[in-house]
This record gives sequence, C-alpha cells and structure tokens, in this order.
Amino acid sequence: METLTPGGNSNKSPGAPAAEAEVGKRFKKQSFWRTALQQKYLYLMSVPFIIWAFVFSYLPLWGWTMAFQDFKPAKPFLDQKWVGFKHFVELFSDDRFYLALRNTLAMSVLSLVVGFIIPIIFAVLLNELRGIMFKRFVQTVSYLPHFVSWVVVAGIVTKMLSTQGGAINDLLVGLHIINEPIQFMAKGNWFWYIVTAADVWKEMGWNTIIYLAAITGIDQEQYEAARVDGANRYRQMWHITLPGIRTTISVLFIMAIGHLMQIGFEKQFLLGNNLVLEYSQVLELYALQYGLQMGRFSYGTAISIFNSVVSVILLFTVNGIFKRVSKESIM
Amino acid sequence: MVSKKAKWIAPVALASVVGLTACGGGTSDSKGASDGAAAADSTAPVTFSLFSADANPNWNNMQDDVGKAITEKTGVTLKAEYAVGGDTQKVSLMIASGEYPDLIMPKGDTSKLVEAGALVDLTDLIDKYAPNIKALYANDMNRLKYSKDDQSIYILPTYTGVGQTSFDAGGGFELQLEVLKELGYPEIRTLDDYEKAIKDYYAKNPTINGQPTIPLSLNADDWHIMIGVTNPAFLATGLPDNGEFYINPETYDAMLHYKRPEEKEYFRWLNKMNSEGLLDKETFTQKRDQYLAKISSGRVLGTINQEWDYSEAENTLKGSSDPTMQNRIYGHFPVTLNKEMKDHSFMDVGFPGGYGIGITTNLDENQRIRAIKFLDWLASDEGQVLNNWGIEGKQYNVENGKRVIPQEIQDRKTNDSAAFTKETGIGQYTLMSPHYGDGVKDKTDNYYTANFPEQIQNAYTQPEKDALKKYNATTWKDLFPKAEELGTSAWGAAYNLPAPSDPSYTVAFQKSQDIVRKRIPEAILATPDKFDAIYDGMIEELNSADIVEMEKIFSQQIKNTVELWGTGK
Repeated sequence: METLTPGGNSNKSPGAPAAEAEVGKRFKKQSFWRTALQQKYLYLMSVPFIIWAFVFSYLPLWGWTMAFQDFKPAKPFLDQKWVGFKHFVELFSDDRFYLALRNTLAMSVLSLVVGFIIPIIFAVLLNELRGIMFKRFVQTVSYLPHFVSWVVVAGIVTKMLSTQGGAINDLLVGLHIINEPIQFMAKGNWFWYIVTAADVWKEMGWNTIIYLAAITGIDQEQYEAARVDGANRYRQMWHITLPGIRTTISVLFIMAIGHLMQIGFEKQFLLGNNLVLEYSQVLELYALQYGLQMGRFSYGTAISIFNSVVSVILLFTVNGIFKRVSKESIM
Repeated sequence: MVSKKAKWIAPVALASVVGLTACGGGTSDSKGASDGAAAADSTAPVTFSLFSADANPNWNNMQDDVGKAITEKTGVTLKAEYAVGGDTQKVSLMIASGEYPDLIMPKGDTSKLVEAGALVDLTDLIDKYAPNIKALYANDMNRLKYSKDDQSIYILPTYTGVGQTSFDAGGGFELQLEVLKELGYPEIRTLDDYEKAIKDYYAKNPTINGQPTIPLSLNADDWHIMIGVTNPAFLATGLPDNGEFYINPETYDAMLHYKRPEEKEYFRWLNKMNSEGLLDKETFTQKRDQYLAKISSGRVLGTINQEWDYSEAENTLKGSSDPTMQNRIYGHFPVTLNKEMKDHSFMDVGFPGGYGIGITTNLDENQRIRAIKFLDWLASDEGQVLNNWGIEGKQYNVENGKRVIPQEIQDRKTNDSAAFTKETGIGQYTLMSPHYGDGVKDKTDNYYTANFPEQIQNAYTQPEKDALKKYNATTWKDLFPKAEELGTSAWGAAYNLPAPSDPSYTVAFQKSQDIVRKRIPEAILATPDKFDAIYDGMIEELNSADIVEMEKIFSQQIKNTVELWGTGK
C-alpha cells in the first residue's frame, strides 16, 4: 500500500518515493539489524525528531493521571488522592458539558463542510483563469485575511453586522429587503453561521494554496489529450483536475476530522456575548472556565482526555472508511 | 568518521538541552544577590519579577522618573508582567507549573496560591524588617490575616489606602453636562428624574452632529456587565457594594443580591427603557471598544458605570476643541429607585483589606528580607510622596512648606494622562505599595496623595466646574449621601474578601454567574409582559440546591471574617 505524506502527492514528484520503496523491498528479507546498519544515517537523522515527539507529545500524557486524582498543586505525586472516575462522572452529569459539546460539534461540522468544499471550488476555478497576473492577484488578496488575528476579524465582523451603521444592515435596509436593522449578534441560533461565515472568509484563500499546488502537479498532457477528445472546460475540471487532487483532498479531509473536537475558542470567545452564550460556549472555553480558572486541574484534564479520545476514535474511523472505500489513507 | 558525526550531534543535543532548560528554568536571572545575609541589607542591584492580575498599558519598565528614583534608592529593578485585560487563568497556570514570580498581585486568586503553598507568611518579616509597614497597618493588623483558621499574613492590602477618604464620586448614574445645561440643571435624584431628563433632551435633539442620539447605553461586555448593568441594581436600591451578594447586617447571611424584590424593580425599569426605545439596542452585543467609541462621539446622553470604565473615552471629549463636545462629559448622580433609598457608594467600610501584593516561595530567606525591605521603603514617607507626587522640582514644588503642582504639570495630568503617567511614573507604583489613602496628612502637614479637595476641584475641566456650581457643589461627591448617614460594615466590603476555593463554592458561583449574565439581558430585552416570567424563572434557577449551598458557604466566610476582625456586635 502506498503511504502518503501529508500535503504531498504522488503525481508531483514520482521519482523519490518510488525509489525509496524499491530500496525497501530489496531489504525486506534481510534482518532488521542489517537494514538498520545500512541505513544508519537515516536512523540517526530521525533520532532528534523521535526525541522531540517523545518529549512533547508523549511525556505530557503522564499528566493524564491528574484526571483520576483530586490533584493539588505543589504536592508530590505519591501524596495525591486517587479518586477513580469521579471527575468523569461529574463531567458527564453536567448539562453545560453537553451544551458545549453540541456547540463544538455543530460549529466544527459546519466549518468542515463549508470550509472544505469552498476552497476546493475556489482552487479549481482559480486554476481556470488565464491571466497569470490576475490569478496571482486574486490568490494573494484571498489569503491575506489568514494573517489577520481573530481579535481584529471579530471587530470587523461585529462592526459589519452592527445595527448602527453596520454595512450589512445598511445594505439590506437600502435594498428594502428588511425594514428594521437586524440584531445579528443577539440571535443565538444565528451564531454558528456567523462564526462559520467569518471562518470561511478568513481561511478560504489560505486553504486554497495547497490545492493549487496539487493542481500544478497534474500532467498537462492529460488536459491536451482531453481537449483532443473534445472535452470542454467543465469536463476537464470534473475528469482531470478533481481526480488529480483527489488524494490531497482525502488526506486533508482525514486530518481535518482529527481536529473536529479542537476548534479552539478564540472565534467563539471574541464574537460571542452573554445573549448567545447557549450557542457560543464550546468545550475548550468550558474547560477553561470550569477547569483551569477555578484551579480544578483534575476536571480540566478529564475534559481534555475526553476530547483526545473522541478525536482519536473519529480519526481512526474515518481513516478506516477511506481505506476500505478508496484505498487511500494516512495511516 | 566518528569525529564528523560528533560535530553535528553535539549541536543537536545541545539545542534540545537548551530547549528543555528554557522550559523549566524560568526566572533564574533575578537571583543575582543571593550571597549571604549581607545582601539583605545592601542596596546592591537586584531584580525582582512581579506579576499583576490587572492590566497596565502604561507600564514603562521603570524607565520613568519615579521608577528610576526607586531603583536608585533601593537597588531594586522590577521585571513586571501585567495580565492582559484582567486575566484570571495566568495564576492557575503558575500554580500548575509551580513557577512563580518573586512578587505577586493576584487579586481574587489569593486563595488558590495559599492552597498551593506559594505565598510566604509575612507576619515575622513585617515585625522584624518593616517598621514603616508596621506603623501603616498598626490599627488594622487583624484585617490583614488570611482567615480564622490560617491567621498568616500573605498579602499586604495595597489596592486601598489606609485611612482613605474619597473626595470625588466616580460612580452613580451619569448624565451629559450638555443635557443638564439645556434642561436648566434639574434635580437628578430618582430613576424617574433621570429618565425624564434623558427623554426630554432626546425629544428635542434626535441627532447629535448629524448622527442619531443614543439616549442610554451601557457597557455589558464580558465581566463589565457587573459594573455597568448588575451592580447598579444594588446601588440604585440603597445597598453598599458586596460583590454579587447581599449580606444581612444583623445575621451576616449572604444571598445573591438579585433575589431582592427591589432589584427586580430596577431591572423592570431597564426593561421599560428598552421597550420605549431609550436603551441602546446594542447594549448587550457591543464590545467595550464600540461602547467607548459611542461615548467619545458625544452621542450617548446617559450611561450607568464607574468612571474608570469609560474615562479613556471621556478624555477624548475633554481634549476636543469644540466647546459643546467638551460639555458632553458626564456628571455623577446618586440615583435610586425612590427618595427613601440612599446611594451607599460612600459608606464607611473601615479598612477593607483585600487585594494587594505578596511575596512568593520563589525567593529564599535572604531575598525575602530584601523584598520586604523594598516594600517597606515604598511604604515610607519618602516612598509614598515619590509615588504620589513625583520628583521635587520636576513634577511638584514646595512653596512655604506646601507641596504644589505647577499649573502646566496639572494640565498635562488632566489632558494627556496616559503619556504623562508613562513618562513620570506617578501612580504606577501606588498599587504595589502599602500606602495611606487620600485625605491623610504626613508629618509636614501635607497630604500623602495628590487627591485632596482643592486638588480635585483644580483638576476639573471648566464645564464640570460650571455644572457643579449650578448644583451648589464643589465636587460630585457633595451630591451623594455622606458616610455619617450610612452606617458601617462589620465585614468591610465582601467583594474584597478572599473567595472560598472549595469547588462546591466556585462551581456553583460560576454557574450562578452564567445564569445571571444570560437571564438579565434576556429579561431587559423582553417585551414588558414577559419580563416577570423571565425574571422569576431566573430566581428559580438561582434557588437550586448547589447555589443555596454556595450562599451558605459565603455566609460562613463572612461570619468568620467578623470574628477574626473582632468587629461583631
């Protein structure tokens, strides 16, 4: 089975991975140590990264023990009181947790669906542009918002949606679509969509870059052949461009699933207000307010364990499905 | 071969080691002066790290006049970190990592630090090494103690001055001076008076400078909702500030203040203001910067807030060249539901103790002595005068034995306060110094602070002076009920006491806050016929078992405090 590196694709540089695979095959029958000796430089080169991953990704897992204790800071490990699943029981019996979970999943699924499809469409369309200067210009302009911090974006969004001189309301009233300005930011059930829209505006261009890179890797001869066969532009997009970046799409999709639970809280925190709390409270904010800010380290850890476990399950499920269906996976 | 390998392994290994120690090391550079007991006495250069849970955008790394003078006198340089926007998770993070600054001003998080064993008991240090601090708190030593069960002194209360008498009012209900002027300076004493003034002016002036007039706007962004929306409920119903609680002065029983029927009537009034279109529609969705922008545009006729929460915007108006704009700053009025109730802003709560500065276990014995001596120097007459007045001959002069601030310095202080603070450092070190409050005089018969009646009147802008004259007052405080009419409090101010750290208190408290911050805006924005249902629903939620239990825990805390202070009946 072919293994893909994230973001890369086999069309782009077919030489290197293929050669490596061949080398791998040749050594398959020889003992592990023999191989290791022959590839000692490769192994040595990977050592710092293995140490890095171990120190920063695996050592902190030791902290998970906190979730099963009534953790008190500045006390030695052996003096901590073990309480079993107490914090998890408390977590699963708190209504606010389910509310936060609902909002987290709702907003992440929304942004996954919208924030995934739009950059692909945008990349494919951008690729069809003839004028190279214009294409570059559009691309640059579209990914600039990525570098604007959420604090500023939240300010822009609130101002745009304001009832007093907000551009959106002015426009809608001016076109006589509505009579009274709408209080966008006061409507709880709109909050998810406002966040998603802001997210798409900010990240669309940036997420397009990787697809554009993948598209440049597609062999131009395929297009020429298709044109000779009489395929129009839409046919070319559908039969050449999209299949050409399919592997990239699946890899990115699987990785995005892994981040479903970790949507951060800046957007929600900055755009939310007390009126829409029922829709803006997300898991990480909940962990911050009810865990860390109160010094309940154990409770916060329990939330984060729940988060990680769900993420891993999601990731493996989706990866497994992809493996079966499309023979493409990242693991 | 081997040597070649070693050449590149070494830097990699070194890099990872450096990376690791950088994570674990922390503030090792501050330990320069730890060589023996002699260090404690000297004024050899030493750097202390300091964390404050309050934001301070004007902090200038002690490169201001006062800061330089402090370093010169004490040898101490502070490496200060100020939390952004009143950050509350930073202290929790410190506890989790076990890495503390040398000096800390944790505000409400003291109990977390005490529980983690991070704070040093200062009792003996004060006794042996800090004569100035000892003299300063002489009458209030009991109020410095942490709790009935743990009578250590962890925090020197520096947020309030000892013997503080406020000479000016910064709270109450605010109305634009221009509104007062046009309406002929009417009496503003009840909610009806306040509402009428706003209504009358609004009817005559639907726009200001071409933009729609905003009759009443409040700041409800995040925690500011307490200052701008919920605290005024108890102020307008004749209660002193005890944070989120009403405390029965006889039994010391605490309950969330929203449960008082009088406050429901206050919120009903806001609901009415909203339904009549007098309350800014964006009140509960706007961010603080939007609120400030509105205030500084001069279009907001009235607001209900504390001056420190909107003074930046007001300064813009003060600095305007248009005299009408200069007149769009606010006067303060002791507005209550009816005339029987009295605004308790100026109740004498005694020395409330509370927020301040502490020394952490990050310092060893000798360094702790050095640190307390530093704080003691700040508490000395010399230190306090420097902090409050600046450098003699530069920011103030002594004429006939009186400290006087030259007019041009006073003008800069009033009109260009941020830059002035940054440059001179006046006021920057007060919050970390044990100090006397306004109205206390030193040995030379001068006030310790630069806030005293003549000074305050001098600092008013001309429009303020004119308006005050019409009300036969010299300061806004003159309009408020006097401390003598308001009685005393046996527990100081409850918001200033360390909050219990028990999860059955903290979780239920946070829950109550979530309920209040959601339901109060909902009730205010509802149509008047739905107001009762929403408010009563909120009270029902606030009567859940865990919240009632939380109130009981806090009642016990009040009772313990009264016992510890010996102020009971």
